[in-house]
Amino acid sequence: MESRVVNKGQISELLDKLAKDYNLFAPVKDETMTLFRRVSGAQDVLLDYNNSDISPKGCFLPQNEKTFSYMYTGDSLEINKPEGAQKTVLFGARPCDIKAVLTFDPVFEGVKFGDEYYSSKRENSIIIGLSCTKVLSTCFCYAMGGGPCDITGSDLLLTEIGDKYYVEVITEKGQALVDAYSQIFAKQDTAQLAKDKDELAKKLSGEFVRKVDLTGVKELMDNNFELPYWSGDDQKKCISCGICTYVCPTCHCFDIFDYTTGDFTGDRIRCWDSCMYPEYTLEAGGHNPRPTRKERIRNRFMHKIKYHLDRYNMVGCVGCGRCVIKCPVNIDITKIINDLKEVAQNA
Amino acid sequence: MMNLAQQLQEQAKKLLEEKKVDLVIGFGQGTELARNTPVFIDSPEGVSALTWGPFCANNLAKYLSDYNNAPGGTAVVVKGCDARSVNRLLDDNQILREKVVVIGVPCPGQLEWQKVSAEIKPGSTLKEVVDNGDSYTVKTDSGDYSFSKKDYLLHRCLVCENPNPVISDITIGKELPVKNYEERFAEVQDLEKLAVNEKSAYWDKQFTRCLRCYACRNVCSVCTCEVCVFDQMMPMWVSKRTNLSENTAFHITRAFHVAGRCVDCGECDRVCPMDIPLRKLNVKIHKDLGDLFNSPTPGTEPGLISPLGGFSPGDPEEFM
Repeated sequence: MESRVVNKGQISELLDKLAKDYNLFAPVKDETMTLFRRVSGAQDVLLDYNNSDISPKGCFLPQNEKTFSYMYTGDSLEINKPEGAQKTVLFGARPCDIKAVLTFDPVFEGVKFGDEYYSSKRENSIIIGLSCTKVLSTCFCYAMGGGPCDITGSDLLLTEIGDKYYVEVITEKGQALVDAYSQIFAKQDTAQLAKDKDELAKKLSGEFVRKVDLTGVKELMDNNFELPYWSGDDQKKCISCGICTYVCPTCHCFDIFDYTTGDFTGDRIRCWDSCMYPEYTLEAGGHNPRPTRKERIRNRFMHKIKYHLDRYNMVGCVGCGRCVIKCPVNIDITKIINDLKEVAQNA
Repeated sequence: MMNLAQQLQEQAKKLLEEKKVDLVIGFGQGTELARNTPVFIDSPEGVSALTWGPFCANNLAKYLSDYNNAPGGTAVVVKGCDARSVNRLLDDNQILREKVVVIGVPCPGQLEWQKVSAEIKPGSTLKEVVDNGDSYTVKTDSGDYSFSKKDYLLHRCLVCENPNPVISDITIGKELPVKNYEERFAEVQDLEKLAVNEKSAYWDKQFTRCLRCYACRNVCSVCTCEVCVFDQMMPMWVSKRTNLSENTAFHITRAFHVAGRCVDCGECDRVCPMDIPLRKLNVKIHKDLGDLFNSPTPGTEPGLISPLGGFSPGDPEEFM
């Protein structure tokens, strides 16, 4: 498809317009944190950031979501579902986080199970990606099939070049948006900008310091559920908190429960859950199939590097590096992948 | 002369060789230059993984109760603040004194790894860290970097009460002076000056961010309940749903549950992925315990009876 140009000076105007016409989610500064929030205009938006502390996955899978409310009056049960999602723009998300949304799609819009709450948000959303300008020491998107300027999953991808944003139109949704705001998305000769973007992508791809290689790891996992490796230091040092799963852009487990006020009226809520919690697999009879940190850690990493591949032919990790940064005890998925690769080679 | 890491390794090796312990819990190099990670050493050959420096923020005493039922003893490397945890765990009968060997290391302060990491060329390898008193020099293969303690230490370290471990069977390194401890309540005093609605607004803003990942609880060395009230489903005391009301209920309950037992190791504050200044809650409680009961920081000496955990027939009952 085509490409366009936005002058940096017009970004505020664009954001203000988008906030007026859509529910606009964009990165904002909240004290020391960079988080995706609904914004009312350009004034709150922060575009000069490395990576947000929490991914924008909440736009599609909010941490708390009411699925319906119910009222039982003695002889009738009334169920009220929330209305479908409003038109939304997710602006300024990084390529890794956008790729992560694609890993949700087959889960929530699969052949077997469709999730109307997710689909409604996904259908009504436009994703405007923003290429990275810097590679952190914890980044490894390249090893997961992505890249700092990767267009995958975006409807539009903006790349900052000098005083302009080079805009790649990737989908029809993106095309409709640039046409609707054509006074901002200028039609110009973009040949030089395209070249500049390629150079930026090339430059950034040389800046990754984490060497991660998935080759052979899944095959090892396919044939070895029990490995002595899982009894090592990682399960000893893990504190069973939910940080890695909550900051992960691809983790999507949830719990469902009723939030009642004591009578027969209430809401059915779904909220994020974490496979790192001991209660996650606790069964009503008291049995827990993942009784210790060993089984829980194995599950989390197997999900990323095997189960998601088995089910959907996609790696369940996009290399954003958040779990690496935030884990209180420095459990590091890149180290685990490399260790497993070594185990595979010596097997 | 051997550096501290070498001395640590030697002591650990001796303990394992002489079978005084089956396990040594210490710090090893992490996956980032400015980060160390807990390591669990069970053979004399493994001790070379042990290291020491200003990137050893974790409180390893937390892990001691995991090895209560192990047949042999466990050695643990502790800083001054972590040593308070050991005392506290002993007082709470969570660990057995005869099964624990405490390797104490006087600590000149721990650096905030992310702040340090941001300044060092990615991919560099650590060669050595030199303590210059007011700063650290981090020597790497990409050059030397200087970090002033004032700007780069964890806040808890800037107002450290016990640089020297308060309990220790083997001490590695020289005793260090206490600095700036008198300033420990400054932050809390600033908060105290606010009007009630301003205080409420401050904490509302913080608690709203909470993801309820429970890292603050799980990392806490005095959180030792087998089943935590927040994990109970029947009855569900606090809903899994995150919102200001539920989050506040969690944080206030947590702070009160550790009141009088919190040793101010600051780990809750360090691990919070949402930068909620949790230590301020605990420090306020410490300040009140000091003001009201003349009570020292829990864990500073063995056998301290917590003002909220003891009973005396002579207690006044002014509220009754």
